[in-house]
Amino acid sequence: MAWITKNSASQKVERRDQPYLTAAMKDDLTKRVLPRYEKSLGALLPALHMIQHEYGWVPHQAMLEVAAFLKIAPSDVIDTASFYEEYSLRPRGKYVVQVCRSIACEFCGHEKVTQAVKDALGIDVGETTDDGMFTLVELECLGSCDTAPVALVNEHLHERLTPERMVAVLAEVKAGKGGH
Amino acid sequence: MPFAPQGLTISKPSGKVNPNLAAMNQDAPLTRRIPCWPYADPKGRHVVGYDEYVKTGGYVGLRKALSMKPDAVTEEVKKSVLRGRGGAGFPCGLKWTFLPKLAANADGSEADPGQRYLAVNADESEPGTFKDRLLMDFDPHLLLEGIAIACYACRIKTAFIFIRGEYHHQAHVLEQAIKEAYAHGVFGGKGLLGGTNTARGGTWAVDCHVHRGAGAYICGEETGLLEALEGKRGWPRIKPPFPAVKGLFGKPTIINNVETLAHLPSIIEHGGEWFNKQGVVSSLGGNNPPSHGTKLMGVSGHVNRPGVYECELGIPLRVLVEELCGGIRHGKKFKGAIAGGISMGILGPDQYDAEMDFDIGRKYNVLGLGTACPTVFDEDTDMVAVTRNIARFFKHESCGQCTPCREGSGWLYQLMQRIEKGDAKTKDLDLALEIATSMGSMPGTTICGLADGNNWAVRTIMNKYWSEFEKRVKPTFVPVKVSIGACAKAR
Repeated sequence: MAWITKNSASQKVERRDQPYLTAAMKDDLTKRVLPRYEKSLGALLPALHMIQHEYGWVPHQAMLEVAAFLKIAPSDVIDTASFYEEYSLRPRGKYVVQVCRSIACEFCGHEKVTQAVKDALGIDVGETTDDGMFTLVELECLGSCDTAPVALVNEHLHERLTPERMVAVLAEVKAGKGGH
Repeated sequence: MPFAPQGLTISKPSGKVNPNLAAMNQDAPLTRRIPCWPYADPKGRHVVGYDEYVKTGGYVGLRKALSMKPDAVTEEVKKSVLRGRGGAGFPCGLKWTFLPKLAANADGSEADPGQRYLAVNADESEPGTFKDRLLMDFDPHLLLEGIAIACYACRIKTAFIFIRGEYHHQAHVLEQAIKEAYAHGVFGGKGLLGGTNTARGGTWAVDCHVHRGAGAYICGEETGLLEALEGKRGWPRIKPPFPAVKGLFGKPTIINNVETLAHLPSIIEHGGEWFNKQGVVSSLGGNNPPSHGTKLMGVSGHVNRPGVYECELGIPLRVLVEELCGGIRHGKKFKGAIAGGISMGILGPDQYDAEMDFDIGRKYNVLGLGTACPTVFDEDTDMVAVTRNIARFFKHESCGQCTPCREGSGWLYQLMQRIEKGDAKTKDLDLALEIATSMGSMPGTTICGLADGNNWAVRTIMNKYWSEFEKRVKPTFVPVKVSIGACAKAR
C-alpha cells in the first residue's frame, strides 16, 4: 500500500522529447474537466486516469507535466499517484490480467484461475511476460461477487471463470478479439 | 412477516421464472425496470435509457418534488425514516438537516446558499458488496433522479458521483446517462427539468459529474472520499468539522449512498407513509429507529443462485438463502454468513434465522447490517482461511494514517497466516484477539472505522468458531510427566 516507501533513490527516470500529456488531453482537461473543480488539484485524478488509460502506466515525466499543467507541486502529484493502486508507476504489459482474490472469489476458486494464468503465460503474480503483452496482478474485490471468480483484463470484466475459460480469454486477447 | 414488495409471498422458485410473478416486480421501488429473480429472468437485463425510463414512470418523483417547497421534500424524506443504505444506517433526512440553515433576504425570499456539494458514494469496494453496481449498470436514471431530488431539497448546485476505479463499464454507462439527462434538460443551466414546475422553489440548476476513483477501499469512507475528490490521497479527515458544515473544498457537503438516493423518487412520488408500510419496526422496542423500506441484498458465496435481490428489510437470512437463492450449493449445510460486507463480522451456524434489518448488530453480535450483502459459506469452508483472507484485505487497504490500524492490521495478517499454516501456539490466539480489540474501538484509537471493521470481522469469527482455531494451534505449555520415584532412583 501507499505508505510502503518506494526504492526511489535508485530509480532511473526515463525521459523523452515528446510530451506524454498531449495537446488533445490538455484541451479536454481545460474544457471539460477543470471547470468542475474549485481547485485545479481536483482535476488530478481525471488527468492521471487519462495518462494511465493512454499509456498503461504513469511515467515520471508525465507526472511532472501534469503538475506543470495544473499549476500544482510535483510532490502533490506523486503523493496522490503513489497512493492509488490503479495508477501504475512502472511500465506494465499491454494487457493487465487482474484476478480478484477477495472473499467470495477465493472461496469460489480464484486460486485455480490464477494458476491457469501462471501456467499459460509462464509468469508469477506481479510479473510481465517477456514480450510485454501480459502482466498478472491479483487484487482485492472487483465488486462482482455474485459471479465469482472474476478477473479484469484491462477494462473488461470476465465473470464466472473456470481455468479453461480463463485460458480461452487469454487466447482471445492474444488474437486481438473481444475488444480489449 | 412480509418480506417481498407489497406483501407478496414468494413460493419456492422452481428454477424457472413464474409468469404470474413477472408482473409483481413492477411494485419494487428499486428494481422494477431491472429483471431480477424470482420475478423475471436476469437475462433480459439492458440499460434503461431516458425514453424508456420516462415511459415507465421515470422523473415523476422529481416533477412532484419540484412542485413542493424544498423543506417539504426534506420533511417527506424525514417522515419516511429512510436510513442510509451505505452501511451505517444513518437517517437520510436527518443528515440533510445538518446543512447550515439558509438565511432569508429582506423580502422574505431565500438567500443564495452559495456553493454546496452532493457527493454520491458509488465507491462500492467492500468485498461481498455489489448491490449499487446493479443500479448503475442497468437503471442509471433512477440514481440521477434521486440526485436531482436531493440537490433540490438541500439547495445543492453540484453533484459528484464518486465511482470506484474498477467500475469501468458502470462509469461509462453513467456518463452516457448524464449526457442524456443534460440533453433533456434534467440537469444544466436552465434549471431542473428545463426550469419547469418551479412555482414553489424557483428554478434550481444542478450540475452532475462522474469522478472516478482509482482503487482504494478507504475512499468509501465519507471524508476519504472527499479527499479523493479534491485530488489528494484518500486519507479520512478528523471530525468535526462534519462534512455537512465543511466538506468538499471547505463547502457544506452531503454524502449519500447510491441506493439511498435511488429510493428518493418513489418516496417523493408515493409519500413517506407509503415507505413506512414496508419493512419492520425495531424489534428491540422503545425508541429504536425502525428499518423501513426495501433493500437490495446481494448474496454471494456458496449458494445456488447468487445475485442481487430486492427484499423488504427484516427478511430472515434463511428465507433469503433457502427460498430466493435456491439454498446452499450441492445441498450442503449452512456454516456461516458474513452479515453485509466483510467488515461487519460473521453470523454463526446458530444464527441462520437472523433478520436482515438494522437491529442485526445488537441482536446477533455483529457490527451491523452493513450493506446487507451476505457472503454465505457452506460446511466445508475453512474459517481460518476466511479470517486470513479478511485480515489480508484490511492489511492491504489500511491507508496508513493511524498507527493502530496500519500496524495492527499487518500483525493480524501475520498471525492468521501462522495459524493457517499450523505454526502458531495457543497464546497466539489470545494475542490475535488482543490486537483486534485494541486496534480499533470507535471512538478513540483511529480516525475512521476501518480498524473497527477489521476488529469486528476477526473477533467475531474467532469467537464463533473458536474450536476450529484451537485445533490449528500447538499448545503453548507442554505438560511434562515426571515420576518422583524415578528421580529419586536416579540420585
